[in-house]
Amino acid sequence: MLLVMILFSLPVSYSFAYEYRIEPDVELSGKLDDIEGNEAKFNEYRDIRDGLYGKVHLLYDSNYYFDFRASDIGYDTQHYKLDGGKWGSFKVYLDYFEIPHNFTFGARTFYSGTGTNNLTYPVHPPNTDIRTWSTFDYSVKRKNYGGGFAFDMIKPFFIDVAVSREEKNGIYPMGAAGTTPGGIAIELPVPVDYTTDTLKIEAGYTKNPLFLSLSLFLSEFENDNHKLNFRNPATANTASTTDVFTLPPDNDYYKLSFRGGVKLPLNTKFNLNLATSRATSEVRLLDFLVDDVSGGRVPLTLSDKTFDGKIDTQNYNFVLTSNPVSFLDGKVFYKYYKRENKSDEITTIAEEGTLTNSLFGYKKDDYGAEFGFRLPASLNLITRYNHVRTERKREDVPVNKDDIYSVNLKWSGLDFMTLKVGYEKMHRGAEFHPPDVAPDDPEFINTFVRRFDVAAKDSDTYKASVDISPAENLNFSIGYKNRNTDYKDVSLGRRDVKGYEFDIDADYTFGKLAKLNAYYDYEKVRYSQFQRRLPFNATSGFYPSTPPTPAAFNWGAKQKDRSYEYGIGADIYVIPKRLTLKLQHDYIRSNGDVDFTYHLGDNPLPPGRTQDNIDISNWDDYTLRTYTVKSTYNVTKKLSLSVAYVYEKFTYSDAQLDGYQLMPATTGSNGAFLTGAYKDQSYRANVVYVSIAYRF
Amino acid sequence: MKRLVFSLSILFVLSLALNDRSAAGNKSAEVNMSYVGSEICASCHAGLYDAFVKSVHGKKMIPDSPANKKECESCHGPGSEHIFKPGRKDRGIVVFNSQIAAKERSSKCLACHEESKSLAFWDMSKHKSSDVSCDNCHSIHYGTEKYLKAAEPDLCFNCHKDIRSQSNKQSHHPLKEGAIKCSDCHNPMGGFGMKMVKADSVNELCYKCHSEKRGPFMWEHPPVAEKCLNCHVPHGSNHSKLLTEKVPFLCQNCHNEIGHPGTIYTKLETFKGTASSGKNRMFAKACLNCHSNVHGSNGPLARGSHWLR
Repeated sequence: MLLVMILFSLPVSYSFAYEYRIEPDVELSGKLDDIEGNEAKFNEYRDIRDGLYGKVHLLYDSNYYFDFRASDIGYDTQHYKLDGGKWGSFKVYLDYFEIPHNFTFGARTFYSGTGTNNLTYPVHPPNTDIRTWSTFDYSVKRKNYGGGFAFDMIKPFFIDVAVSREEKNGIYPMGAAGTTPGGIAIELPVPVDYTTDTLKIEAGYTKNPLFLSLSLFLSEFENDNHKLNFRNPATANTASTTDVFTLPPDNDYYKLSFRGGVKLPLNTKFNLNLATSRATSEVRLLDFLVDDVSGGRVPLTLSDKTFDGKIDTQNYNFVLTSNPVSFLDGKVFYKYYKRENKSDEITTIAEEGTLTNSLFGYKKDDYGAEFGFRLPASLNLITRYNHVRTERKREDVPVNKDDIYSVNLKWSGLDFMTLKVGYEKMHRGAEFHPPDVAPDDPEFINTFVRRFDVAAKDSDTYKASVDISPAENLNFSIGYKNRNTDYKDVSLGRRDVKGYEFDIDADYTFGKLAKLNAYYDYEKVRYSQFQRRLPFNATSGFYPSTPPTPAAFNWGAKQKDRSYEYGIGADIYVIPKRLTLKLQHDYIRSNGDVDFTYHLGDNPLPPGRTQDNIDISNWDDYTLRTYTVKSTYNVTKKLSLSVAYVYEKFTYSDAQLDGYQLMPATTGSNGAFLTGAYKDQSYRANVVYVSIAYRF
Repeated sequence: MKRLVFSLSILFVLSLALNDRSAAGNKSAEVNMSYVGSEICASCHAGLYDAFVKSVHGKKMIPDSPANKKECESCHGPGSEHIFKPGRKDRGIVVFNSQIAAKERSSKCLACHEESKSLAFWDMSKHKSSDVSCDNCHSIHYGTEKYLKAAEPDLCFNCHKDIRSQSNKQSHHPLKEGAIKCSDCHNPMGGFGMKMVKADSVNELCYKCHSEKRGPFMWEHPPVAEKCLNCHVPHGSNHSKLLTEKVPFLCQNCHNEIGHPGTIYTKLETFKGTASSGKNRMFAKACLNCHSNVHGSNGPLARGSHWLR
């Protein structure tokens, strides 16, 4: 408030010594929509509904200035921003915006208390007549309040301060196993009541040849609900003795960083970034768990009832850049990053066993060099190499060594054409440590698993593009990229990812008559994996080379995603500078499938299965069609009218959601109590809007 | 490695030997030109001049602004020769288009803005090394916020077309809806972060908006704690939650333990599938129906360590 008062009072006192201008403009739109199907998906990040939408812009510009903008006033996407200050002296801003994220409207549950952290139902077992279940919406809204100021008047010193508060409220779908293993799944509407406060202060000095900056970032996250109590329908859980699902803990975070740069002779600059951060949490741990059968609480013995979480990071960057001669750009860099987990190690003792949490941490050393050569014939060659060594506290792969080489060549020998080609190779070495267990231990299977995030791999990326502008009113571009990754040592797990994509763009301007645009993008990706299926109580047969049996065998899956999109549009200047007609059509399609292979040898496929009826043909398949017609008429230089019609149709099909059932079964490994999250995402929408804009 | 060093050395020597001397030529040409004053410019380019006066560059109260220097000629250079060369090519002044090298165009802006905090690490920028100049994105006379030639993300999509395609996928950050901008995560002016992100690590960047994922949790999922991008893509995916691939296969790529993790889940295990048992919830959210606390848990025993509570 103080900032606003300062902002409004100062111009009155001083502005008249200079010329000033005030530029207010307002826009009022009326929208009418007709939505069939999943409104939550249509409005996933939007708030389009019947009503009046306001947009205001007010600019006062003199030696002092303020610039106020408001849009979607009163809606879930509303945004207000006020910038102000004195040119060359200081800047202030205030900002408020909302972002909705809608997941599913009209979800259903037998629980009462949706939106709170206590979910219960009156009589066990829950009523299976879904018509009696209550409905609610899965939706989360962010409200962000921000403000800040920056001082330029103390040049070459500077101070920037920014504060913000983000409130995130709503309901989000999570899930829990009723009993474990093999019990039912329970979809839980989890309350989201988060508040995150942040403060950033940066002060420094910037005058050639030196740049120095010290900054502090503070973030405090608060969750109103640390636990979700729910009556567990898989057990004889009573309404008073509930099961508990843990929710994100409050945390405090700070980061202190120093950045600097100094110019050296030979057009060289040394840059550095030193940062340290700490995230902490404090959690009162559960000293019981709910028994799978009785639903009663079984006490736990904890080495400490409070978990003190503490993660420290250190980051050091040193970068030397140089441009000693006009045709050479060089860069040598080193980065060190360490994540140290200093949290409590808690040992929990119970009848079912003793378990201690392990503390995960890692460090990375990354060094390398990049050289850019401006060669004759308008060629620009950029070569780069870097080596990354990662050490982590993880049993399977504690060390990775990455070597990454890249070369990019750009040719701009013709005024109207730029050609680029590039290649990158990544080689990842991995030190694999097999689990130290007996060959009959169920963990022994992990001897053959290479987890893709750390597995040894070779990755090749090729790319090429050309931009052509044969005339000032015609632009054309085409790009291609091919990526192949082979996880070469993998017996079980992801084996390769292969894919390519290309894009074509063009636009053409017909003098003062029209501007046309068109694009087409295509992408194909294939993930291949190889797995081994073993029964739950297996103590042998872990080797993938073991001859298959009907219960212990290898299998493979290939997932393919093919996506393409195109668009075509025209801005037709029916009456130049007066009446414009905009036409646009966009189409997006994704077609995915999964091809399974049982490696059963001479054993038959399980009853009822053939190689054809197990494959999945709809794997996140969707199409999105959009047609837009918009006409804008500039009645005068100050007044304009627009009328628009948008048709949008989204069709979604996926094997995991087709035939959705809230209760596929109430017991066993097919059992689940679901709420309908993400079901039936298809929609069709017609939106008409009329707007009037006036610039005073 | 030796081969790489050898190749780079050859390229260096080649460049040294064959480099042209056009820059030196340009400098000598400028010596003979003189300033004509912005009134002359305005006589032909009234619209541009009016926009300049209203723009931040036209503010006389900013001590080092072009308005306090040579106005139009502060950036475009002396105009004496241009008066006699008003044509399309070789206009006799500095024009901000591809006829002049990116580095030279940027140098005009850096002459005043080099000491700006936001440009402190421009020399490390991928944009700089790729010959992107200030005027590729910024309009000196007109424009939107920050004098950009177009609003984000359309401005960025002009070059980053693969990102445009990803952002249009059904699962995406609200970029095209205008709720966030490319520059919320990336610093186009350069910095220390990989891919010019505004953070020292991927997770640090993600936690700025997703602070509930920061934990610290008693039970951590190592791939999650190390890098969000092990499972998620940042710009867009065909699969919900911006996942790189769909569950259960994403999980099975790492978890092939005995029992249900290593089981083959086919079309027959879905809602519509005919499997009478052992579906293990290949439907709806699959693994995440039960193991939903994959980002970290403080739950008890295996219920916590397996993300069930």
